[in-house]
Amino acid sequence: MENVFLALTEELNRAGRIAVLGSGQAVVWHRLAIMSKDGDWILRESAEACRHVLSVLAGHGARYRPGAPLDPRWLAGGWSSHFEFSDERQRRVRCDFFSRPPRLSRAEIAALFSAAQAAPVVDAETLIRMKQTQRAKDYAVIGELARRLPPDRELALTTDPDRILALAPDLPESTRPAAKAARAGDRRAVVRALADEVDELQQRDRARLAQFERAAEPYLAAFRSFDRPELELPDGHAHLVELAERLLPIHPREEGS
Amino acid sequence: MKLLSDDDLDLAGMSDEELAAAWDLWFDLAQATNDFDPPWTHGVFAGIREWRWERDADPSREPGEARVAADG
Repeated sequence: MENVFLALTEELNRAGRIAVLGSGQAVVWHRLAIMSKDGDWILRESAEACRHVLSVLAGHGARYRPGAPLDPRWLAGGWSSHFEFSDERQRRVRCDFFSRPPRLSRAEIAALFSAAQAAPVVDAETLIRMKQTQRAKDYAVIGELARRLPPDRELALTTDPDRILALAPDLPESTRPAAKAARAGDRRAVVRALADEVDELQQRDRARLAQFERAAEPYLAAFRSFDRPELELPDGHAHLVELAERLLPIHPREEGS
Repeated sequence: MKLLSDDDLDLAGMSDEELAAAWDLWFDLAQATNDFDPPWTHGVFAGIREWRWERDADPSREPGEARVAADG
């Protein structure tokens, strides 16, 4: 008995670190909560890594779900690729891949693949930034993940007003509005500052995804004409590349603005 | 203020085998909601809450991404 997503992470990385587990399954790995039935990986942005992932997934009988082809050209544009297969107990396994997670710099992404990173799973602070999405439930996870950080980083990132009230007096250098309110002893102002901050993060994430959604409209419309067998690996990949070369802009911001 | 429940946070006290078993049971149970899941939960399509595969209109096909979901 094994978590299929952890087993797949091991399989993907057997010949070298190319895929780092993120999001919900990373939350499980950090033993924080069991909260996601899908797996998502940050992939090394190379043709070799893409080929290896496609080969591993083909071995599991996977097929593409709606999304970009797993190709470094579209990965570099920020797109994501999505797959699905059934495990040996006929349970649905969904796998998502991207190489440019939002809110992380190129250097931070590169560091995920370095030898210094012990496990192929994103660390708590990286996970927090990946979780700063439009989904409200992610902010509860951020609060719990932040408890695992040193005090100054917890104060910078936590979504828990009580932790901000507890930490802020000892960290006067923090300029976070909620921390300033905490030093003034104003709990309601702390809560309001946190709510404003979360709303800003959610709006920013929503605007980012809207650009991709607009740019993907013609491609997704054409995607609907595929029969599911046409999307099975390995052949499905060539079908998606052909479609994407015609209809999916590599850089959505240029095309979608 | 606890942001997750005691049940969630108890994972830290489990052995590797207990965690694997708990996850396995949870994943079994979670299959029951497959048809109601949002089409994407990660990646850049996650903002799309409704996506219909035209061929899902054919009742002989398995249910797929033809859902409106409340949560990811």
